[in-house]
Amino acid sequence: MKNRILKVVLILTSCVAVFLQSLFIGVAIADSIGQLIYKKNSLYHRISVYQYATIVSLQFGRQQSVDVQSQIDMSNLRRHMLEYTRMSFCGLLYKPQPNRILVLGLGGGVIPREMQYYFPSLETHVVEIDPEVPAIAKKFFSFRENDKLKVHIADGRMFIKKQLRSDPVPKYDLIILDAFNSDYIPFHLMTKEFLTEVKGVLAEDGVVVANVFYSNRLFDAELKTFLAVFDRCQAFVGIDSGNAMLVAPGKTAPTLTVKEALAQAKILQQKHKLAFDMTTVAKQLKPDILPDPNAKVLTDDRAPVNWLKEQETNK
Amino acid sequence: MEQRSSKKTGGANRRKLRDVAIVLIACACGWFVMELEILGVRVLAPYFGSAVYVVTGSVIGVFLLSLSAGYMLGGWLSRKTNNKQILGINLMVAGAWLCAMPFFIEPVCDRIFNIGLDEKWGSLLAALILFGTPTLLLGTVSPTAVRLLTTRASDSGLNTGLVLALSTLASFAGCLVTAFYLVLFSMRLTICVSGAVLAALGATILLQAAVQAGRVLYQNDEVTRKEGSR
Repeated sequence: MKNRILKVVLILTSCVAVFLQSLFIGVAIADSIGQLIYKKNSLYHRISVYQYATIVSLQFGRQQSVDVQSQIDMSNLRRHMLEYTRMSFCGLLYKPQPNRILVLGLGGGVIPREMQYYFPSLETHVVEIDPEVPAIAKKFFSFRENDKLKVHIADGRMFIKKQLRSDPVPKYDLIILDAFNSDYIPFHLMTKEFLTEVKGVLAEDGVVVANVFYSNRLFDAELKTFLAVFDRCQAFVGIDSGNAMLVAPGKTAPTLTVKEALAQAKILQQKHKLAFDMTTVAKQLKPDILPDPNAKVLTDDRAPVNWLKEQETNK
Repeated sequence: MEQRSSKKTGGANRRKLRDVAIVLIACACGWFVMELEILGVRVLAPYFGSAVYVVTGSVIGVFLLSLSAGYMLGGWLSRKTNNKQILGINLMVAGAWLCAMPFFIEPVCDRIFNIGLDEKWGSLLAALILFGTPTLLLGTVSPTAVRLLTTRASDSGLNTGLVLALSTLASFAGCLVTAFYLVLFSMRLTICVSGAVLAALGATILLQAAVQAGRVLYQNDEVTRKEGSR
């Protein structure tokens, strides 16, 4: 009898211990990005906003993870806190003077906001599926809409399909695909059929830039799919993060060598007084990157994206 | 005398085998309904987006509606004397529909998108056109299965429970296997293969029914011949 009581007590204490431990882990992770200042459950995500001094972070999904969607420094909006927002400027190396851009995925709105800051006459369309996200971007991330910068609440694929059916079909000089978070990847925004639709709204001398994860099999499958649709594809690989940018140039847009990219970066740096080092971005170019020979093109018919993402590769 | 008793146990065994086969057919249909439902969301996402709740809602809604109609129709058809043939034909038509489906996903969805229907009504209509008929036909299977299993009114509840429990269990398995593993393969191929399996099942049932009918005819002939010779 005594033994049994002892056992129950032991089990209970260990349960409490595990619970407390998980609490502390939660606190420790939250500490690195600060205090939770806002929480909202939307149709698509559990949205959390954290603040630490002047640093504000946006998180979708699991609260106890270190992945953040957007991060800004309130005291200096020009500062790119996350490597991928800076890297997403790589499209400018191919198309230095864009007039119209399309961004799929708003998040904190850092990419469209900064693009418009450096190119005030730029006409920007942002497509975001989650109706709660724009309000949060405006409230916490200094994002503003204006006559040149519009947010459309829609599924990215449906938005592009609708554009394709309008007459004349509007063309974009720069298309940035950033509609993913680390937990969930919409397969229908990665397939050959989707990229073919994207190609339909891309100007001949424009480029498509896609934010992707680097070290898993999904990267190879995406690269292969981009090559299947655009024939040419280059990659910029992150140093501080697991992100990479795939860049697919339109028919008449160039492909670059590292040297050319660096030269173009220096010109952009001077002309637009970029607050970050564009040459760092240019140096991340891998001009002749090739997919794993076993990689398969992603199609609407077969696109096991979440499964591929779980398969790490050692790159 | 002895011969007769062995014939009797043979008949009981055959009856048992037949019951197992009927339950297995109901299970197969339960599996395919859920497999199709899970794949349905994947089929529609490229056209109506991943507004997950909208597309999922449309697909689940259409499946429930079609199953409801299928149960009613199946219940009514089960009272016919040739219910087994009807069952076989239903499975064959459902199978043929699935085999053909991959070829009309694109034209149907594109046309609906072009009409300008939004993701709500568009996905609902597309789901109805693509999945309504096969799901309805698969829905007719359970009532017919119950009818075929039941020889005494007092067993009807038990048989209904058995068919519903096992086919729903198969639905559960179909759900998980599709969501976890079949998504790794070509969606079109998966649907085609499922259709082929269903059509084969239907053909087997028809064949069996024909053989049985032949046997009954032959026996009747035998009896009349014997009576004639006497």
